[in-house]
Amino acid sequence: VEAAVGHGSKLDVCVLQLLHMSVFSQSFSPCGRYLAAGNNYGEIALFSLSAALSPDATVQSQKPVLTFTAHEGPVFTLISSDCHLLSAGNGEISAWSWTELIKKVTVSLNTQQPGKQHDLIIPEINAMIINPRDNSLVVGGGDNNVHILDLEHGVFKSVLQGHSDYIHCVSVREREADILSGSEDGAVRIWDSRMDQSVHCIEVYKYESCARPQYGKWISCVTTDSDWMLCGGGPSLSLWHLRSLSPTSIFPLTGCQRQAAFHQDMILAVGDGPFVSHCLLGGEVKAQIPCTPQSLNTLQLNTNSTEHRVLTAGGSSDHIEVFTNLSYRAFSLSF
Amino acid sequence: MGAVTDDEVIRKRLLIDGDGAGDDRRINVLLKSFTKWCNSPGTPEEGFTQYQRMLGILAQCESSMGKTLMVYDMNLREMENYEKIYTNIEQNITSAHDKIAECKKEIQRAKRIRKNRQEYDALAKVIQQHPDRHETLKQLEALDKELMQLSHIKENVDAKLELRKKQFHVLLSTIQELQQTLENDEKSDNDDSQESPFLSVLFCKFSFGSTVFSKQHFKPSILHYVVL
Repeated sequence: VEAAVGHGSKLDVCVLQLLHMSVFSQSFSPCGRYLAAGNNYGEIALFSLSAALSPDATVQSQKPVLTFTAHEGPVFTLISSDCHLLSAGNGEISAWSWTELIKKVTVSLNTQQPGKQHDLIIPEINAMIINPRDNSLVVGGGDNNVHILDLEHGVFKSVLQGHSDYIHCVSVREREADILSGSEDGAVRIWDSRMDQSVHCIEVYKYESCARPQYGKWISCVTTDSDWMLCGGGPSLSLWHLRSLSPTSIFPLTGCQRQAAFHQDMILAVGDGPFVSHCLLGGEVKAQIPCTPQSLNTLQLNTNSTEHRVLTAGGSSDHIEVFTNLSYRAFSLSF
Repeated sequence: MGAVTDDEVIRKRLLIDGDGAGDDRRINVLLKSFTKWCNSPGTPEEGFTQYQRMLGILAQCESSMGKTLMVYDMNLREMENYEKIYTNIEQNITSAHDKIAECKKEIQRAKRIRKNRQEYDALAKVIQQHPDRHETLKQLEALDKELMQLSHIKENVDAKLELRKKQFHVLLSTIQELQQTLENDEKSDNDDSQESPFLSVLFCKFSFGSTVFSKQHFKPSILHYVVL
């Protein structure tokens, strides 16, 4: 009886864990055949896309090929460089080699902590992005600053200070060597990465057309296409022209958007609500494709591989939706 | 017992089926009947019927052979036909692939064009909100003109003010000098003789006048007094 009870409670714990799982971050491998996803328990799961997309895929191929605990706290952000997977959660950045992970070896190569080592409070890291121009990692987190880490030498090069509240998201403008950061204080700051100074500061909530005071002024997603920028969060998701720093289109999406991306001639956005929104640059919402999780946190397009061109979205569920054709949900990967 | 039955079976099989089946059997039978006919001692009529029979069998064999040859030809031609169709379909497949690739490129181009158009529209919307450039330029010109006019007026007024100030300064300094002179005179007079009441009245009036003045009043009256 004890054995049965023990087994039952363990099963219940697993089921409960799955019920409360949220996927916060995703990243595709450089070869494009694997997807790494990080959840709120600090685990990273590796899914094989080639197995899941093959014609003779079974339910087992939609499960991870490898799951390991990467951090003590949630894994808020994942990013892949040419041969490494970088993950960050509560204050430390860990690097994992993709080739080792594919061989199911989970040994962290390097762990870094931005800021001073002897601080008592280690702020969480909310967003990371790689700046391909000078091979550096831009990190934004809870200490209101943007840190830049040189990937070749593994040391922190500089700190960009200016925000008055924690940073939600960072983005890199390819052509102009600029870094954009969106923060809880409602401002999107544009930094020149060569001079390490704030070039512009856009306070989105001050523009009447975008502001939504009922949601707040925080900016949770920033993404850029060199000339244009999408930002949203508390204020409505809006498209900005960066040269003139003026909002050109406001998207009438209810709820707060957590991630947005430019894709060909469309804009894809996820946030509150169980769907992926497709919008046109002019401001109209073309379609909203339904998904299983109640709200979505992360959206990624696989640009590293031609035969596995999928869009994946994860959110407040243990399922990750996979779209082979953008118009409908094909299947789900689950932890 | 089994071995004997086997022998029996074999003998029976050979007897029944020894010649083979179908055409092969016919040829064997023909050959056997030919040799029998050559060696038969029977009557000429029997021989003739046998001979006719053999010719019949021969004709049958020939027709069957003819049929087989035709079937063989037909098969060859079918094969050719199929080969042709096969290559045709292959070509169609490759051309369809090429067309698909072309169309995909077209779609990418069209999407890029659409994106550019939408960006253009979005910017145009923002630009429309701002007033027309010509209007603004005209307004600026008008404002410039007004500004120049006003600065002219200001200059004029300033010049006038300067002039009046200078004139007034001259007047005041003259009054001061006269006052001094009168004081000196009075002092020298007081030393010599008794005070002149008229002069003291003049002195009071001058001292009063220099503190509260209005230029219009004093100009003629001071001269009048000085003359006195």
